[in-house]
Amino acid sequence: MAAAVAMETDDAGNRLRFQLELEFVQCLANPNYLNFLAQRGYFKDKAFVNYLKYLLYWKEPEYAKYLKYPQCLHMLELLQYEHFRKELVNAQCAKFIDEQQILHWQHYSRKRMRLQQALAEQQQQNNTTGK
Amino acid sequence: MLAISRNQKLLQLDEENQVLELLIHRDGDFQELMKLALNQGKVHHEMQALEKEVEKRDSDIQQLQKQLKEAEQILATAVYQAKEKLKSIEKARKGAISSEEIIKYAHRISASNAVCAPLTWVPGDPRRPYPTDLEMRSGLLGQMNNPSTSGVNGHLPGDALAAGRLPDVLAPQYPWQSNDMSVNMLPPNHSSDFLLEPPGHNKENEDDVEVMSTDSSSSSSDSD
Repeated sequence: MAAAVAMETDDAGNRLRFQLELEFVQCLANPNYLNFLAQRGYFKDKAFVNYLKYLLYWKEPEYAKYLKYPQCLHMLELLQYEHFRKELVNAQCAKFIDEQQILHWQHYSRKRMRLQQALAEQQQQNNTTGK
Repeated sequence: MLAISRNQKLLQLDEENQVLELLIHRDGDFQELMKLALNQGKVHHEMQALEKEVEKRDSDIQQLQKQLKEAEQILATAVYQAKEKLKSIEKARKGAISSEEIIKYAHRISASNAVCAPLTWVPGDPRRPYPTDLEMRSGLLGQMNNPSTSGVNGHLPGDALAAGRLPDVLAPQYPWQSNDMSVNMLPPNHSSDFLLEPPGHNKENEDDVEVMSTDSSSSSSDSD
């Protein structure tokens, strides 16, 4: 208790809190972690729900620029809805989100591969018509 | 006999005179009435002409009213659209960020494969678009819960922690040891608002950092 009070007033304590909240909010991008939290009933705790609402300050640009995994903000927004929190108890829900996230993650590399393939095909055509 | 007939004649003359006078009187009356009727007819004509004028003016006024109504509608839509435009301008101005900062941020999130998969990624690669188990436990949050560190690496099925080294995956690139971070950057301090009694902030953090199941495939099937 005393340590918590000291943390709030201490500058180093504030920096620590900043780092902890930064790490925690980015952990929310992990659907397996969300499933874990849901199964242990954290989403039913009113204090935790309030904490999630408080974490929305990471959406401001001066805070968001510290985020390495910006998808966590989308998950944070979804977590504000009770329906989503209830759904996360199912493992299939988390698995689905995980798959979709990974597929989206691969979007750019796939696009690049397609472009490269198209370019290679075009070059092949040029070679065959040239000869 | 003659006296009576003379009286009768006088009486007749008198009567004739009276009747004639009455006739003349009546004629005079009729003449007056005729004049009156003529005047009334003229007045009636004038009234009709005036009524026509009034009708014309009425229709003019109605036309004007319609045009004013249309003009008001057009102006109202124009004003509304202008207001919306101003709102969006204000919004854009509020969110204005220098392009250099955006590019720097784009570099930062792309460099670590956080938003775009590495080109050599295949299913089976442990890298993910979110912080993995290992990374979460190696971070500050994981270190806080268990101050003791063990030498275990890799995915952990049990309660042991990862090695104590702090990979830079989660921590921001800004040097935390330096003192030039302004106090304005610190998160808003609402620690007393979460619960009705104020037990302090750390409670939530400590509760959350527990051992997790490593992969979704190996999660225990306890659903609430």
